[in-house]
Amino acid sequence: MTSWRAPLLTVGGLLAAAGLGFIGYGLYRADTIAMAAGSTANFTVGWGVLLQSWFSAQWVLRFHDFRSAMAAVEHEGVRGVARGIPHVWGGLAVWFAGWAVIAAGIRRKPDEAEGPSAAVGAPLYPPLARFQDFHWGTLGAYCGGIFAAQLVLVFGYLASVKMLPQIGAFLLCLSAGGLIAFAGGFFGAANSKRLSTPEATIAVLYAGLPIPIFLTLLHQQPAMALLSIFDERELLAVRSLFHEVMFLSSLLGDNMPALGYWLVYGFLVLVLVLGINLGFVATSSGRVDLRLSYELFVASRHVSVFRPRLIGGVLITLLFIVVPPLLLYAIATAANAAVEMTRIQKLGLKDPLKAAAALNLLKAKRQGPTAMMTALSVGGVGVGVMALIIVLSVMSGFELDLQQKILGTNAHGVVMKYAGEAMPEYPEVMKKIGGVKGIVGQTPFILNEVMVATEGNIAGSMIKGIDPKTVGSVTDLPRYMQTGSLEGLTDPSKIVAPRLAPLNEPALDDAPTEKKKPELLRDPLIEEAPHDAPDSAKLPGLVLGKEMANSLRVTVGDRVNVVSPLGSELGPQGPMPKSRPFRVAGIFYSGMFEYDSKFVYISIDEAQSFFGLKGVNGVEVKVDDIDDTRRIMKAVRDVLDGYPYRTKDWGEMNANLFAALRLEKLVMGIILSIIIVVAAGLIVATVIMLVLEKRKEIAVLKALGVSDGGIVKIFLTEGLQIGIVGSVLGLISGLVWCLFIEKYGIKLDPQVYYIPALPVRIEPFQTALSVVIAVLISFLASIYPALKASQVEPVEGLKAE
Amino acid sequence: MGAFLELKEVHKAYFLHGKRIDVLRGVSLDIEKGELVSLVGASGSGKSTFLHVVGTLDAPAAGTMRYQGRSVFDMNDAELAEYRNRTIGFVFQSHYLLPEFTAAENVAMPALIQRQDRVMSLRRAKELLERVGLGARVEHRPGELSGGESQRVALARALMLAPSLLLADEPTGNLDPTTGEGIHQLLREVNRDLGLTAVVVTHNEVLAQSMPRRLRLLDGRVQAA
Ligand SMILES: Nc1ncnc2c1ncn2[C@@H]1O[C@H](COP(=O)(O)OP(=O)(O)O)[C@@H](O)[C@H]1O
Ligand SMILES: [Mg+2]
Repeated sequence: MTSWRAPLLTVGGLLAAAGLGFIGYGLYRADTIAMAAGSTANFTVGWGVLLQSWFSAQWVLRFHDFRSAMAAVEHEGVRGVARGIPHVWGGLAVWFAGWAVIAAGIRRKPDEAEGPSAAVGAPLYPPLARFQDFHWGTLGAYCGGIFAAQLVLVFGYLASVKMLPQIGAFLLCLSAGGLIAFAGGFFGAANSKRLSTPEATIAVLYAGLPIPIFLTLLHQQPAMALLSIFDERELLAVRSLFHEVMFLSSLLGDNMPALGYWLVYGFLVLVLVLGINLGFVATSSGRVDLRLSYELFVASRHVSVFRPRLIGGVLITLLFIVVPPLLLYAIATAANAAVEMTRIQKLGLKDPLKAAAALNLLKAKRQGPTAMMTALSVGGVGVGVMALIIVLSVMSGFELDLQQKILGTNAHGVVMKYAGEAMPEYPEVMKKIGGVKGIVGQTPFILNEVMVATEGNIAGSMIKGIDPKTVGSVTDLPRYMQTGSLEGLTDPSKIVAPRLAPLNEPALDDAPTEKKKPELLRDPLIEEAPHDAPDSAKLPGLVLGKEMANSLRVTVGDRVNVVSPLGSELGPQGPMPKSRPFRVAGIFYSGMFEYDSKFVYISIDEAQSFFGLKGVNGVEVKVDDIDDTRRIMKAVRDVLDGYPYRTKDWGEMNANLFAALRLEKLVMGIILSIIIVVAAGLIVATVIMLVLEKRKEIAVLKALGVSDGGIVKIFLTEGLQIGIVGSVLGLISGLVWCLFIEKYGIKLDPQVYYIPALPVRIEPFQTALSVVIAVLISFLASIYPALKASQVEPVEGLKAE
Repeated sequence: MGAFLELKEVHKAYFLHGKRIDVLRGVSLDIEKGELVSLVGASGSGKSTFLHVVGTLDAPAAGTMRYQGRSVFDMNDAELAEYRNRTIGFVFQSHYLLPEFTAAENVAMPALIQRQDRVMSLRRAKELLERVGLGARVEHRPGELSGGESQRVALARALMLAPSLLLADEPTGNLDPTTGEGIHQLLREVNRDLGLTAVVVTHNEVLAQSMPRRLRLLDGRVQAA
């Protein structure tokens, strides 16, 4: 027994805090906070001490002797150290003093004087003799598991990525690492036959955490984390290596390089915990037994989630968004109660015995608090899984929509030359590309930035010289034409000005009418046609997007000027931007704002003469399988013998966009998982309630010969049942909701979203993952209560009358 | 090889508010196979504690116990569970039936824990219930049974796996004399028919006297009474 003296504890605590303050101030004065933080991080995580010493030794070795090493440290910008040293030492002293005072405040009470018991000399109860609170072997297994898992993951990935595609290598090493972590947990727990939480904590903090911390530091403060064991060049190489390891982070975008690894680490810890649990459950009773027979029988009687009323109720609640079903339920129960009561009353007048029986039946139907909690937890898990599935599916839908639009307006891949050199030899290049298997279309192009101007309006744009005959084999541009056609690009006489038939216009264009009005009004009022009619018929054609046409207020047949800052002409006051008039031959609508508001197409010949270019900028290609684009583009590169040719696929061209989308999806996933975590909290509460309620039953079961492992299994299955039923109900309702959204659609304001209805795409993998995660979390949630249940002493339970 | 059940120097104490209560102070005892033993003693003398230690529901502080030559206290959790499951049959002062299960399921539970076939176990449970005179209460839940009926179900449950050692802790303590006498009759019958060994803690002097071997717990030690 210990006794605590509050005044001493308070004073000691305050002293220690003040000491820390001093230390901080000293570090601040010495301008070494960052360095101290780095080293402290390394030090606090156990073997970081070894790492740090090794780094320091390297440092010293590099400079041959200690003094020049210190000089180098000075040189590295730690000049102000001397200024802070007294404060740091003083602070340290105060800090230790504070701890000493605290220690003085904690005393062990002396044992009460009592004679030796009668048991002196008798053989000690063997489990007492064997009792062990801490298992070094277990600690070793946990540490080894989490540490080796990460090593295998990192180095295995670095080795295998040379032979396998990134995702393949990553998944392979992740599974290998997961397996090792699992095995570490399993055998550690099997060794101690306990969960060994202290050992697990130490392992996760001291053997596991240093690696993610180290990798993070590597990015935040590379010099600090490595303390110069590498020189600049090596450092860069190592960083890029680790960057590759953080494969996930490259998916997530460049702004969060370490996040990916932390996620991986979280996964490994989860797997370790899982291994520990299964190891414990399997072997705690001295024998591996993962069968579930009577355990399931008892568990399902305890929670009874498989009641049609519960399942149906939760499903309906999820499907019809909570409130209407609850309302319906309230009305139904009220009506039912009224009917039953009058029935029983009437019955009572005739046959009291029957009435009493009916009343009994009615009362028996009422559920206890645990049944309510069970229903709530099932519903909670269901809501979480449902939300996860719906939101992720909608986000996938957006992604797919975006991808389709990008692929509609963009080619699947382009072939260009390094440094943007022109490609006059493009016919030969195209011939070679055409021979590559998987290429189904190609078209040459010229791309430049220009301004498009009308009287009074101007817009920045990308101008693209295209071959109208072949462009359709690569992009959907011809399909996107709303008014006019691409033929007008090469043959200006084909341009049909719609003002000849102005009534058709609104029908062709689904833009809001008020936007159209100025144009309609303009036609009869400002009669431009007569004065530029003769030569404008000869003007080359140009196709632009609907948004740009709206903002420039032009329509087919109108004249626009294209101004290029690049191909400048010499004017009276020096170089002047080159300008050339075009006539709008058509307007396209791709449904992607960026294109509809930015892109302008002219014919390749016009572009060549406008920009004074021989040949083209490159060739766009279409492939038969977009998921295989990367490989096909590599084949193209090989056919062209590489340099000076280079290729890019659609993914690379829009890497940032897709990375941003994926990051957003991940963040949404994490946020929504919080719902599931909350639901898991409900599961914990439910199972704890069950355990408290069933203390006596647990004791009886133990007396009948159920081992501790059996009790754990019973209560684990109870949580798991809740999780599985909730997840399945969430899955069903989530899918139903997705199908509903897909079929009947949720209309979006096209002005805001540029997309007519909420897109949905059910990805089997991510949907399955949501369910698996929910089930896993429910499983983890029931571990603690299940353990508590197994620790109920039979005698205590039997006395709890 | 020693006796069927052999206890040596078994000690047990409770600590409460810094005070030590010595309940068992070196219990040494041999019980032979097939013996029917009664145990009497003042209230609070430690009779229940003794039964719990023998049934491995409670851990002693020191001592050894051998069952057919095997050291019971050295067993691990799984072996202990199996010892309780196969060797011991418990009957407590309260029936301690599982409320979610029917009488038959309660009786069958020890077999189910052994992972025996459910249908077979339930059939045998029904036979046992008939034997204790409850053939008409097979589908009843414990809440729907009287005290005496529940105690008979508990006895049937204790006999389900034909244990070699029956430990009964005041099985009739909560019952009226007539019902109690019925239970006693049953106990004697199964002892005679199945030849099982039984230790029965009782306050009922008549019952105690009717047992072939009588023990008394006094000052933490077991003596012949
Ligand atoms: N959990 C416990 N903590 C403290 N003392 C206990 C505990 N259980 C039993 N005792 C004490 O041990 C003694 C013996 O109890 P018990 O074996 O139940 O007696 P009996 O069954 O003979 O009436 C009693 O004095 C009781 O107060
Ligand atoms: Mg008692």
